[in-house]
Amino acid sequence: MMVERKISVSRVFLWILLVIGAAASIFPFFWMLIGSTQNPNDVVAGVLKPGNQFSQNWKYVSGTYNVLRFFLNSLKIAAFTVIFGILVNGFAAFGFEKYRSKARERVFAVMLLALILPQIAIVIPLFRLIATFRLLNTHLAIILPSVMSVFIIFFLRQNFKMFPTEIMEAGRVDGAHEFRIFFTLVVPSMKATFTSASIYIFLAQWNSYLWPLMIILNNVQKTLPIALFSMMRDYTIQYGAVMVVVCISTFPILIMFLAMQRQFVQGLLGSVK
Amino acid sequence: MDKKGSYYRYINNVGWIYVAPALLLYVGLLAYPILSSLYLVTQKWQGYSHKFIGLGNFARMFRDGLFWQALGHNFLFMAIQMPLMIFLALILAVILNQGIHRFRGTFRTFFFLPAVTSLVAYSVLFRIILQTNGLLNSFMMNMHLITQPIGWLNDPFWAKITIVLALTWRWTGYNMVFFLVGLQNIDTQIYEAAEVDGASRLRQFFNITIPLLVPVILFSAVTSTNGTMQLFDEPNVLTWEGGPANATMTVALYIYRQAFVLNSDFGYASALSYVMVLISGLLAFLQIRFLRERS
Repeated sequence: MMVERKISVSRVFLWILLVIGAAASIFPFFWMLIGSTQNPNDVVAGVLKPGNQFSQNWKYVSGTYNVLRFFLNSLKIAAFTVIFGILVNGFAAFGFEKYRSKARERVFAVMLLALILPQIAIVIPLFRLIATFRLLNTHLAIILPSVMSVFIIFFLRQNFKMFPTEIMEAGRVDGAHEFRIFFTLVVPSMKATFTSASIYIFLAQWNSYLWPLMIILNNVQKTLPIALFSMMRDYTIQYGAVMVVVCISTFPILIMFLAMQRQFVQGLLGSVK
Repeated sequence: MDKKGSYYRYINNVGWIYVAPALLLYVGLLAYPILSSLYLVTQKWQGYSHKFIGLGNFARMFRDGLFWQALGHNFLFMAIQMPLMIFLALILAVILNQGIHRFRGTFRTFFFLPAVTSLVAYSVLFRIILQTNGLLNSFMMNMHLITQPIGWLNDPFWAKITIVLALTWRWTGYNMVFFLVGLQNIDTQIYEAAEVDGASRLRQFFNITIPLLVPVILFSAVTSTNGTMQLFDEPNVLTWEGGPANATMTVALYIYRQAFVLNSDFGYASALSYVMVLISGLLAFLQIRFLRERS
């Protein structure tokens, strides 16, 4: 009897711990929804009741602030990075793993060095290069350097190890062209891997801040994180409107996460395999 | 024989064609810019021109108090935030794995959620919540936990705590998921044997769980060391440009400000970048050696 009671007390304690942790984790999401309907004073004061200012806030961000434009900019940049990133890194991972040679292994080893390079060390010389090519203030300058990712190549290569080489041989016997093997045999059977990689690339680009901050100086080209940062720079900060933009930049990711949670977690776990 | 030789050559060429686009981008947009900027380290910027000063930038670095202060902050955040986060993540993972049987998936989702939000978006949210007259202070005063509002963003000491809290909020669930996977790979028979031997839950945790999770814990440590060394977004947005009074200035942010905000001194910024590459390389080397010894 005593033992049972003791267990249930510790169980209650565990549940309290979990609930507090979970509440702390999701509170900001809940609060940003409420905040988007409030006037600036209530946002700062942290009033937890929904207000009635949503349409004013929306008018401000869509009219004065053109948030739709920033949203489309972010979407376009992330989408192109995913498409080219999957192609370029997928090809490379496949080439390194299924067409092994000593020379290519050495190249791969050198490429892996990039994993320890701090981003700030790359962006300064890269900025000068982009400036020389007169690509400042273009979306191309954001997309191009993020297409090739050593981490993604590494992740895909690890997964390609599971793809049986015999199937490739069978394809060759059937007379399939080398480059058709990739698209007709590999891609269809490794959909989950490609989905994980796509999610990872999309997430990283959608949230990226340091590099776009350097590249984009004019208003129309801004992405959501950069726009949000400049809203916080304004002389009088429109907190209600800020909350609307926070919602807009968080929702797509949130929906994606809840819809594809399994692949999402797998994508992030890919590196420990 | 000759036919076979030409087939191998063909296959080898296909291999190069596959890796070519990535290799081109790697060389053009990573290796080339970094190596070609090596000479910038020796240059001093004066307006639009620059001149050779040899190792002058490094001499300046040794005299630059703010750089050392920033580097100190990086290590401080690492030393405090990393153990705190790994400890919390471990506890949560163990509870989710063994302590409860219901709503496991729901809790996992909730804890993981912060890791997918945009850094800027959450920094902005935290910035509003943590204002002196903001949500957290008024909540804590209503609960009589504090009598004076805390200067989460204005006080040099509390601003550092703010960065630690924000990083912990964002990354604990992420690391917890790694630990969960690690825990699920542990054979339950080991625990059953320990139970038979009369080992308490606490002893099982310290003598079985932790030792078996060491590789995963090390992986987390390596990833967050790297992340903390590169810390940029939070001190720039949340505590605003490394403020108050540089109390949360980090090396990455300092380099950025040298190159783009204060005096567009690309020479000095490049020199500092190379120092950072050196530090990151050294840390990676030490961690890999430690990992090797362990396994």
